[in-house]
Amino acid sequence: MASNSPNVNTPFVVLRGVSKNYNNFNALNNVSFEIKEGEIFGYIGPNGAGKTTTMKILVGLLSDFQGEVFIGGYQVPTQKEEIHKLLGYLPQNVAFQEWRTVNHALKTLGKLSGLSDVEVENRIPEILDTLSLDDVRYKKISQLSGGMIQKVGLAQALLHDPKLLILDEPLGGLDPLSRHQFKEIVIKLGKQGTTILFSSHILSDVQDVADRIGIISHGKIKQIGTLNDLKSQVGTQKNVEVRLSYASEKWREFKSIKNVYKVEQTSPGRVLVNFEESADEDQVVNDLVQSIAKLGIRIKGITLLSPSLDEVYLNHVQEGEST
Amino acid sequence: MKLSLLYMDELRGFYKSKVMLFLWIGLPIIAVLFRFVQYGTTGQTISFTVVSALVVSSLAGTLASVMLSVSIINEKNRHVYELFLIRPLKRRAIILAKFLSVYTCVAIASFIAVFVGVGIDYLTTGVLSTTVINNLGQSLTISLSLVAIACAAGVLIGVAASSVLVGAILVIYGGNQISVLPLVPTLLNISNAVLCTIGLATLTTTLLLAVAIGLFERKQF
Repeated sequence: MASNSPNVNTPFVVLRGVSKNYNNFNALNNVSFEIKEGEIFGYIGPNGAGKTTTMKILVGLLSDFQGEVFIGGYQVPTQKEEIHKLLGYLPQNVAFQEWRTVNHALKTLGKLSGLSDVEVENRIPEILDTLSLDDVRYKKISQLSGGMIQKVGLAQALLHDPKLLILDEPLGGLDPLSRHQFKEIVIKLGKQGTTILFSSHILSDVQDVADRIGIISHGKIKQIGTLNDLKSQVGTQKNVEVRLSYASEKWREFKSIKNVYKVEQTSPGRVLVNFEESADEDQVVNDLVQSIAKLGIRIKGITLLSPSLDEVYLNHVQEGEST
Repeated sequence: MKLSLLYMDELRGFYKSKVMLFLWIGLPIIAVLFRFVQYGTTGQTISFTVVSALVVSSLAGTLASVMLSVSIINEKNRHVYELFLIRPLKRRAIILAKFLSVYTCVAIASFIAVFVGVGIDYLTTGVLSTTVINNLGQSLTISLSLVAIACAAGVLIGVAASSVLVGAILVIYGGNQISVLPLVPTLLNISNAVLCTIGLATLTTTLLLAVAIGLFERKQF
C-alpha cells in the first residue's frame, strides 16, 4: 500500500512484475524496470512488442493489469489523480477535436492540468515558440498536417512543465529538422531534471537521447542498460577496419596476429580484421599496428568497430523470437 | 470548475462547427414548412404552435441522441479522450459536459421552434388560442423531458458502441423508443401528468447517465 506522499528515496518510475492480457494475447509478461529521477529512458522494441501497453498502464489509460506500478511514490491506478498532476503524455496517435484552434486546444488542456488563466496565457506563446509553432497558433487543428499535429501534441505534453514526460513514438511523421529539434528539446528537458520515457523503433533516435535503454520483445524485457552495457552484453564479433593507402596483398599476413581469426577485403583498399570476442581490443589493435609497420604497409586509417544499437537490438529481438 | 470548462468548450464547439446554427434555425424552419405541407395535403388549419410542438417532440429527441452517440463514438475511436483522461479530471465530467451541452442546444432549439410557431400564429391571426397557450407548457415539458432521456440514451449508446453505424442503429432501435416514456402519464390521463412526466424523465435520465458513467469509468483506452 503506497503512502499519500511521494517517497523521494525511491526511483521516480517503478514497474514490478507487470502483466497484461488482451483476451488470449499476452501483451506484457512480468515486466519490471525502474527509471530514476531526471533520467531519459529509451524504450525500444518491434511493433506489437508491448511499448504502448506499458505506457498506457503508466498514464492510467489501462487499469486492469497485474503487478505493481508506482510514479513518484504514488501507486497506479489507485492514486491516478496525484499521478496525473505529475505527468505529460504524448500518445502515439495524438488527436484533438478538429473544430479547435491550436490556441484553444492548449488553453483547455493547460487549464485541465491545473494552470491558471494567466499561467496558460503566458505559457502558450512560450511553448509554441520553442517548438517553432508560432505561425499556427490560431489555425484550426483540421488545417494542420500530421507532423504539425504531432508537434502540437508535444506542446500539450510540455505545457504544464511535468515532472515525468511519457512520449510514445514521438518522432513519427516529423521531418528531419523537426526530429533534430525535438531531440534537442528532450535532451534539454532531461538536463533540467525532467524524467523522460521515450519509445521508438527508430534506434538512432533513442541512441542520441537516452541515458539508459530498455529492449522489449513479445511483451518481455530483454535487456536494460546504457548503450555501452547493451553492446558489451551482445556476443557480436569485434572488428577493426584498416584503410590502405594503395593496393597491396600484404594484408593477408594479418591472419597470423594472435586472436585474429578472419581477415577479408570488404572493398578496394578496405580490410576488415575480425578477432575473438574474448580478446583484449587494445592488445589486438597494438599488435595490428606493429604488424602494419613490420610489413611496411602504408595506411590511411584504422578504426575499431563496435556493434551498433541496430545490431544489439536485432540480437535481442531475434533471441526473443527464437525462445 | 472543470465540468463548467468542458461544458463551455462543448458549446463553443457546437457554435464553431455550425451545429448550433443548423439546430436553432433548422428546427423552426422545418416546423414552419411542415405546417404548410400539412395544410396543403389535408386542408385542415392547425395552429403553427401545435405543429411546432409536434415537430419538436418528434425530431428533437432523435437529433439529440444521434448528436451525442455519434460524437462520443467518433471522438473515442480517434483517441481524442486520451489527452483529457491523463489529466487530473474526473472521467464523469467529460460525459456530463457532453450531455449538458447537447441538452442545452436542443432545448434552446425546441424553445425557438415553439415560440416561432406562437409568433406566426399571433402575426397571422392577431390572437392566440387560449387552449393552445394552456397546452404550450405541458407540450414543452414533455418535449424537454423527452430530449433529456434521448440525450442520456445517446450518451450510453456512445459510450457502449464501438462503431458509428452500430451507434446509429441502436439510437433508432432503442434511444428513440425509450425517449417516449414521458408521454406515458399524459396518455394514461394521470392527474398531475406534468409532474409525473418530469419525475419519470428525471429518474430515467439519471439511471441511463449513471450506467453510462459507470461504463466510461471502467473503460480501458
